[in-house]
Parts: sequence; structure tokens; C-alpha cells
Amino acid sequence: MNFDQLFVLAKEKGIEDLQVYYSGGTNFDIEVFKGSLEKYTIADTAKLSVKGIYDKKMGTVTTEIINDEQFEFIVDSIVASATAIESEDEVFIYEGDKHYKKVEGLYNKELEDVDPKRKIDDTLKLEELVKAEDDRVTMVQAFYGDGTTNVLIQNSKGLKLEKKVNVGVFGAYVIASDGNDQRTAIEYQQSNSYEDFDLQTIAKDGAEKACALLGAKPVDSGAYEVILQNNASTALLAPHISMFSAENIQKGISLLKGKLGTRIASNLISLVDDPFMKKSSKSGSFDDEGVATEYNELIDNGTLKSYMYDLRTAKKDDVTSTGNGFKNGIHPTNLYIKPGETDVEDAIKSMSKGLLITELAGTHAGCNPISGDFSLQASGYLIEDGKKVQPVALITVAGNYLELLKNVTAVCSDKKMNFAFVGSPSVKIKSLQVSGK
Amino acid sequence: MLSKQVITNVLNAALSTNADFAEVFIEDKFQTSATLIDSKIDKVNNAKVSGIGVRVARDYHVVYGYTNSKKEADLVQLATDLAQSFKGDPRGITFELGELESDQVHTVKLLPSEVPIKDKVDILKRADKAAREFSDEITQVHARYADYVQDVWIANTNGTYVKDQRVRTRLAVSAIASNEEMKQHGFNGPGGFHGFEIFDDLIDVEAAAKEASRIAIQNLHAEECPSGTMPVIIDNGFGGVIFHEAVGHSLEATSVAKGASVFTGKRGEKIASDLVTAIDDGTIPNAWGSATYDDEGNKQKRRVLIKDGVLSSYMIDDLNAKRMNEPGTHSGRRESYRFAPTSRMTNTYIDNGKSSFEEIIKNTKYGLYAKKMGGGSVQPATGDFNFAVMEGYIIRDGEIKEPVRGATLVGSGKDALQKIDMVGNNLLRSQGMCGSASGSIPTDVGQPTIRVSEMTVGGRKGAN
Repeated sequence: MNFDQLFVLAKEKGIEDLQVYYSGGTNFDIEVFKGSLEKYTIADTAKLSVKGIYDKKMGTVTTEIINDEQFEFIVDSIVASATAIESEDEVFIYEGDKHYKKVEGLYNKELEDVDPKRKIDDTLKLEELVKAEDDRVTMVQAFYGDGTTNVLIQNSKGLKLEKKVNVGVFGAYVIASDGNDQRTAIEYQQSNSYEDFDLQTIAKDGAEKACALLGAKPVDSGAYEVILQNNASTALLAPHISMFSAENIQKGISLLKGKLGTRIASNLISLVDDPFMKKSSKSGSFDDEGVATEYNELIDNGTLKSYMYDLRTAKKDDVTSTGNGFKNGIHPTNLYIKPGETDVEDAIKSMSKGLLITELAGTHAGCNPISGDFSLQASGYLIEDGKKVQPVALITVAGNYLELLKNVTAVCSDKKMNFAFVGSPSVKIKSLQVSGK
Repeated sequence: MLSKQVITNVLNAALSTNADFAEVFIEDKFQTSATLIDSKIDKVNNAKVSGIGVRVARDYHVVYGYTNSKKEADLVQLATDLAQSFKGDPRGITFELGELESDQVHTVKLLPSEVPIKDKVDILKRADKAAREFSDEITQVHARYADYVQDVWIANTNGTYVKDQRVRTRLAVSAIASNEEMKQHGFNGPGGFHGFEIFDDLIDVEAAAKEASRIAIQNLHAEECPSGTMPVIIDNGFGGVIFHEAVGHSLEATSVAKGASVFTGKRGEKIASDLVTAIDDGTIPNAWGSATYDDEGNKQKRRVLIKDGVLSSYMIDDLNAKRMNEPGTHSGRRESYRFAPTSRMTNTYIDNGKSSFEEIIKNTKYGLYAKKMGGGSVQPATGDFNFAVMEGYIIRDGEIKEPVRGATLVGSGKDALQKIDMVGNNLLRSQGMCGSASGSIPTDVGQPTIRVSEMTVGGRKGAN
């Protein structure tokens, strides 16, 4: 697609500078059920997001209809959008950085070259493997999906950046039953190298997770020492990421306002945003504004070191963008709590009485990132004298996320990233309020 | 729009192997969104969504493809590629698309696509002003405006050939109250199957904004909620999210047909207290979750899910109807052409009972009064659910006492249904977005005030 005419038309209509963000790609998904292919999806889509500065305001528009005939609509919408905007923040179309770090392995052609038939057969095999793990597994929905995205950023200041990324995911949703109780689990792996997928491990972990919670029941209400397993800690971290957004700081809706350089977490906690992580679809050398990305330490051994900035918020604070300017606002690339030294099994063994929380549900409603308060449905195990003595479900754990970060007493070595490339190792917490029986 | 001939050619290409069903879903959607923060309009965006989904099936196995291309050659190629999944000879299925059917049950007076942006952002400024005027403790207001006009055309090899237009407009206000110790927020988001006239006919912008502020201020002055099990009174309106999460999702064929729901095989059985009658009604005039047709081209319907405590109907899309070997209930919905449809809720509510609100409060010795609910989620296989209380009070000796914040309710759907021991007579519906297998779609939740005799309440304060 040639956008030269669009740039010309924009200038004619008084738009100072214009930037197009084109993202197009293909998707492929497989779901199998009871030994046969149940759902198979193929897609080929593209979307164009355009922004432009008109009378010092940034107007925006998006369209999935991408052809010359849309140029007039695009330009008119930008003018209308900019005219309605009142924010006086200075806005930018970026001329580009001198250097963009070369990020290896974002795209692996081999993944696309794997025959779809092999992917289907392997998904069917995964279903069988999960079933074979345990007689109590009553239902398995195995899935595979991959996608390739091409991104092009081009603007009237001469910047032109391109990237191509792909990623695949193999997983299984498992239901186990013992006749009285029914429990579920989901287990998956992500990579853009097909050889990385270890179906046997997915099967073993998925079946184990679902079966282990059979017969789970609430524990007594009260305060408990808690280990949040990697998945659960990640689930709790994700809704609180917005606290680190400079936009939320500047709008006065983040508790981290004015806390730079101060201790906000246990010295065991380091939180980083790493745009250069291998085999992640979130990795890349530039953000959606065209700014070079950087490895950013948000929390270093408990001390708040940085917020996440885009161009507009950086200008307001008189700093440089951290390369976190994405289409829907300020977001991380690959954000995770750095793993520590403790083996998770040792952390469990050292607990005299407490809870190992393996899953948290309802994080979209039960977390309030503005106050940091959370109250969430949890499941896991009651631990006594270092041993799992009873599976636990239908309890809530409640606390405040910043208080929790201060009360971390151990960080384990088992970091795991989720679907959205947010990750954490298992962490041990001094005390959380549990509501059960 | 594609011509009938092109659609027919695509459908025929999809039947070129052994498939027994094919469908084309065409979507054109124009949406405007605007955001206000710091009392200033911050973002305004127009967006055109446009694409086509092709679905090909044999029995209940389905392949789905979607693209932005409207070129006949691309679409025929997509259908042909999809058909390769069903190796074998064509079944000789013939069909004819008749006249395009387009009944439009829900009428709209003022299409949002014809309203200038200035009028839309003025709504946000009014909301901001009203929310801030409510109290000096309101320190930030985040208001969002959203509308869309979605045109869909659905054609399939059963001869279905319909067009539907869905118009929805919504205002969402998030107010933040602060003092030196903390920040709390309140939310209110009314909307409907309406155009811009909604702000004259249905939504009082100032009142809607003040409601968000009122909740935020209540929370700022509330104590931490105690934890433990206790009777819970859930108020009307968005309180219906409990039924939506705890029961509604488990009655969708998506999980029922595979035996993945706690309610599989339970039709005709008593699953709830006698006081409970629950309905999913996609035909309510101009309701947020209504439409003339579902996303498989069937006329929307009213479904009685539970009658006096007895399970009477599931919500079933056409594909799962084949798997379950019974008629569908016209419940196929999807966010956009990027999703194959599956069974989903529309406007789902517990019907009116006999008790008055005052009676319910008066008859409760100790418990939690959940006046406003936040969102929640459920695991359909176990029925375990959770949801957040946005505004709560402790009830003592039949009176509403101190406000409490930060409560989450957890339980299992089948237990909670049995434990509903009072149902009010003040049914109210409220708007939400529901995310599931076929994307994020508008749904109404609703109920009169109800009491659940015992529920687990999770708060940050210890047990009382």
C-alpha cells in the first residue's frame, strides 16, 4: 500500500504531520474434541490506524477498509477528532531514533512452514496424552494456534519502520471428576519454534493440575501465610501494571505518584519491562510511536526506579519516552518480576502453616488498581508442616497489592510468562486475609 | 455489500467437498468513541470495522475463516480452502437465497453516525461537571462515550438471507474520590439499543454521572468489609450479574452440549429455589442486549430458562443444536466477523417475586447488603463464581447500617440458586459487556432485590 497520496491530502487539509500504523497478518487456530477436529480457523486481516496533528491536537482514526477511496474519510476524521480535543498536552509525530537495537528471532518462518496436517495431528495427540495421564480426566479440549503480524509505521517526518513477528501456542483445557467433585485446569506453552513444544509436559502438568484439586473445599477464615504460585502471582500482577503508567501518575489515579526513588516493595522484588525477550510476540525494537524500546527496570530491589512513558507523558515530566507508547495507551512489552534463588518446593517445605495458591479468578473485577485493594476467588492447597494436606477452593484472598509487595518474604526461581507476556515467579507472602468457612 | 450472486458462489465453493452447511457473515460497522479526563476531551476516534466470516460445517465440526477482503476471488478461495477440511464428494445440497429479509423491530430515531462529534463530546463535559459538583472529594472523572452502527448480512445454505442493523450508544462514568489516605472509585455505565436520542429519552446525563460520584464517596467513607459466611441481599439492576455469572453461562450450549456444565442433563429438574423464575429475552424493545436477529440469522426470542425453580430451557445456537439433537433457541451471537458464533445470553434476568425491598431488609438480622455490584467470572464446569461488590452495607437488626468496601462474593451457582430465600418485586435491568468464546458482546443483566441465605463474603477485615 502506498500512502504518499494520503500524506499529500493531509497537508492540503492543514494537517501538520501524519503517521500511519498498518498492522496486517494471518491467524490459524485448531481445537479438537473427542478425537476429531472440531474447529479450525484461518484468517487474513489488516487494520490501519492513522494519527495526525491538526491545530496542535492529535486526531486519530482507524479503518479495516484500506484503499485510496478511504483517504478522504481518514483525513476528515482526523480533523474532526482533533477539533473536538481539548487536552493541552503537547503532542508529537516522531522523527525517529538514531539507533534501533536489532532484535533477533521475532519471526521464525519454520513455524509457518510446518504442515497444518501435522499441527492438527499433534493437537489430537495432545488430547490423547492428557487423557492417558489420569483416569479422572473426563474431558479435554486441546488447542493449537499461531499467528503472524506485519507492522509498518510511516510518517510525514520521513520515519519508516517495519517488523514481522510470529508466535504459536499449544495447550489443553482439562476437566477432571471423581464422581462427586469436578475441577478444571488450563495448561499451555508459547513459542515461535515448533520444536520447543513439549506435548508430554503440557499433558502431564494439565492433568495433574485438574486432578489435584478434586475434593477441594474452603478452609477456615483468617490470616494465612501464602505462597502465590507463578501463575497466580502473574494473574495478580497484570491488573496492577497500570499503576506504573506515567499517564495514570499524571492524572492522579496511581498510588505510585511521587514515589520515585522510594522503597515500595520488599528488597527481593525487581520488576522489569524487557522488549528484547526472545520468542515473544510483544518484543521489538520500537513501540507504536516509532520510539526505540529499552530495557526498563521499574522496581530495582524494592525501590521504584521508573514509570512507563510515551512521548506525550515524557514531555510533561521532561524526560525521554521509555518506548511504552502503544496504540491503546501506555503498556509494557514483556513485563515480569525477576526470578529469585528459592526453589518453590523449598518454599513450600519451609512453611509450617499456610496456603499455596495455584489459581486466582475474577481479577478483572476483584482488583482495584486505583486503590490497590483486591479480593479474589482463590484455589490451591492447605500446607501444614511443609506438606500439602488438603486441596482448597471457594475461598477469597484479600489485601492491598502494594502492601503485598512489601510483605514478600521469598521470590522463587520458577518464572512463567502468561499469554499476554506478563510473568512472575512464585512468591511467598507474610500474610493475607482469607475468607472461607 | 456483496451481491446475492457473489454470496451464492462463495457458499457453493464451501459445499464443493463433503460439508453439509455453509454460512457467510458480512459486517460493516462504524463506531465513534471519545474520552474525557482532567475535565478535558482527551481522545476522539472514528473507526470502520469491515469484514467477512465464512463458516463451513459437517455435523457439528466447523471450520471458520475471516478476511477484510470483499473481492469475490478472495472469498471463493477462502471458502475453497476451508472446504478442504471435509474431504469427500459433494452432498448435492441445493439452496436458493430469496428476497433479503430485513425486519427492523428496534427503531432508532437519530443514527449516531449522523450526529456531529461536538454533540457527543458535550455529553462527556456535562457528565464531568455533574460528577465533580457532587462533592469536593471527587478529584478525577474519567468519562467515556461510545456508539456504533453495525450492519450485518447473514446468508446460509438453509436459505437464510437476512440483514440486521444494531445501533448502540453508551455513556460510562468513572468517578474517583480521594482523601489523604486513599482513593476509591465509583462507576455507572448506562446504555441501550438506541441512537443519540438516548440522551433525551432514557439517560439523564447529570444523574448518571452523580451516581458514579455517590458510589465513590460512599467507598471513601466505608470500612473494610468483614469476611466470613453470612446472608447477602443483592440489590436490583446490576445485581443480576450474579445470575449471569453463576447460572447463565452454565446454561449456554457451549458448555452444556459438551457435558462441561454442572447443568448438563438437568432439564426438568429442580435446580433453584421455588422463588426463582429466570428469563433470557433478546426481544425486549431497544434493550442493550436485544437485536432483531441473532448472529446466525434467526429471529431473536424470549427464553424461560428457569420456571419456579425448574430448569426449562438452555440457550442453544444452531451448531450445538445438532450436537444436542434438539431445536436451537436462536442464541447464536458473536462480537464481529472475527468470531464464529456460539450460544450466548442477551438480556438475562430473574423475574419479579412478591417481597418488597423494605420487607427483605427488615427480615434480615445480620448480613451484607450489596447495593451495587462490580463484575465477576465463573468456571462453567464447576459453577464456581466470584464477583466484586462495588457498594455494600452491613445490615443489623433489619436496618441498613455502616458502609463497607472491598468485598468479593464467592460461591457455586447451584448452591446459591437453592439458597435464594426472598425475591423482591422491583425488577431492574442494567448494562454490561460479556466476554466469552465468541468475543465481547453487549448484554443486560437484571433482577429484583434478592436475598441469598448464606454466601462467602471475602473482605480485608477479619471475621466478625
